[in-house]
Amino acid sequence: MAGKGVKCLSEALRGLSLGAQPCRTTPARQAAMGCIRSMATAVEGKPSNITRSVDEVYTPLTTVPVTIHSFPTLEPRSLEAWSTKHLYLPLRRDILHLAVVYEGDKTRQGTASSKTRWEVAGSHRKMRPQKGLGHARLGTRQSPLMRHGGKTFGPKPRDFSTKLNRKVYDLAWRTALSYRYRRGELIVTEDGLDLPLPDEFLYAASKGVLGREVEDGFVSKYLAELLAGLQWGREYGRTTFITGDRRPNLFTGMEVGGENGRALELDEVDVKDLLETGRIVIERSALREMIKTHSSDLVQRVQVPGLRTKPQLGTAIVQ
Amino acid sequence: MPPRLPIPLTQAARCCAAPASRPQAPSLVSLFAALSLQSRTPTPPTTATVTTPTQIRSASILANLSDNKGAYNKRIRKGRGPSSGYGKTAGRGHKGQKQHGKVKPWFQGGQTPLIVSHGRHGFINFRAPKMMEVNLEKLQKWIDTGRIDPKKQITPRELIRSNLVGNPILDGIKLLAGGKETFRTPINIVVSRASAAAIEAVERAGGKILTRYYTRDALKRLVRGEVVHTTTPLPVGPEHVNRVLGRMRHEARVSGGKKVYRLPDPTSREDIEYYRDPAHRGYLSHTLKPGESPSLFFKVPGAETAEVKAVEKERAEEQAARLF
Repeated sequence: MAGKGVKCLSEALRGLSLGAQPCRTTPARQAAMGCIRSMATAVEGKPSNITRSVDEVYTPLTTVPVTIHSFPTLEPRSLEAWSTKHLYLPLRRDILHLAVVYEGDKTRQGTASSKTRWEVAGSHRKMRPQKGLGHARLGTRQSPLMRHGGKTFGPKPRDFSTKLNRKVYDLAWRTALSYRYRRGELIVTEDGLDLPLPDEFLYAASKGVLGREVEDGFVSKYLAELLAGLQWGREYGRTTFITGDRRPNLFTGMEVGGENGRALELDEVDVKDLLETGRIVIERSALREMIKTHSSDLVQRVQVPGLRTKPQLGTAIVQ
Repeated sequence: MPPRLPIPLTQAARCCAAPASRPQAPSLVSLFAALSLQSRTPTPPTTATVTTPTQIRSASILANLSDNKGAYNKRIRKGRGPSSGYGKTAGRGHKGQKQHGKVKPWFQGGQTPLIVSHGRHGFINFRAPKMMEVNLEKLQKWIDTGRIDPKKQITPRELIRSNLVGNPILDGIKLLAGGKETFRTPINIVVSRASAAAIEAVERAGGKILTRYYTRDALKRLVRGEVVHTTTPLPVGPEHVNRVLGRMRHEARVSGGKKVYRLPDPTSREDIEYYRDPAHRGYLSHTLKPGESPSLFFKVPGAETAEVKAVEKERAEEQAARLF
């Protein structure tokens, strides 16, 4: 009872404090009692009925909706329908595992190198006579048994990369995206995703009056505020921004404020990046390109007249 | 499902609202002041108040990925102690050559091996063309399921692109008569070779069959659409050269930089003879004169050619001109 009273009091206090703030919109926290709803479009799982009568026609889901938002206001701008084969694949942990391990193997440098006894420099003179000193027999100073000698089975530069079938790897990409989509952690924005820094700041920065330290300080703080407001910041598992090419404000902002997330160009992304942070924010064209380049497993070699061989990339429902 | 409306923004939206006009002297103080003001305001989603969700944890899925059970087998480590199961003798048993080394797989226990007593016979012809085989029952199934359109001419391009054969593409396609009893669709088909029973079955169903010479590269180009399919051979003789070359050059110009190929014709004797044979429904069989054999060497006894006659006449003249 007492707990409830405290709760009411704190709510009332918060309401007061919010009301005191100018230009603040309705607080969003009221909704946060039972469920946490994300901003991304997601399909709720329906309870599946396993038993089905004969006259009930089985019509599986073929498309799922994707909302295209503006950034950073996250206003919905359009709605697209995407094939379930692109963004609603079942979660296959084994496929994701294969892809992540494959990428890890491929990124290993493999440059570790050590010298064997034949490569260690120096004279091969016998270190001491074979007999007569009362010591053990001893040959050259390059022997692996000696200090500064060669290494017996040391590392040599080598290629650690393993192989993975392209179709499996492409399936892993779309499985990762589908996993994010289903959890509501895939936020698609309009093209031209960038960090909108205030005009005053950009003006001052272009004049060069601020200096490196002040600029970085401002940008990182600005970014932290922005992401905290969206519940995208560090406490919410960080955010990965994916764009088609390098966006100066966003990328430099993420470099100085890296504790809140990261920004990646489309070429740099791999499956592990898609699985890492709390959410993926990707611009529409980058998502299209990503799915287009990773759909080799959807191609059918048998061509039946009148039948589509490949699912369509996202089609607009509402503009 | 309707698109979700986003959570109303707090400071973020205000931060990003750009001013309508650019100030001449930007007041940095005010910029930073705005930031600090925001940081002073109680940010809503902060730590455990009663109304906020208890705790948001973004546990990454990366820690819970693994391959399917049984996808990997543990490596057998031989000779690594009794508990491994392959410890003492490492699976090699006791004593002898098998324990210590290797016995050739063809060793017959000291008996004279077959290869010694009887020697090697025959040979493998590596040059022989390797054919992709198509049986009539499978072709009928493809037609029934709509994978092949029987109303159009069926060429190797259709057969390969419909995935009936062609993985990998070999030197040609041979039509065989498996399931000839059930074959019923009249078709117009062109293949590299066909068995006599297959030809009979296709024609009994009211269809047409023609055999044409292909090579592996030609089939690949046909599938890629780099060559136009034709069943007429390239005309032979110097009078045709200019016309054919002109046509090819024209096609190359029209295609806009794309390479233009033509289908090859046979050059070896066996191939020419095969496609000259009407029994094979060869595409060169129209070149045979009435009564002529498809063989390039066999001549009907008694039938003298003009060449032979000329040689004999010459000899007779030589004989007549001899003095002694």
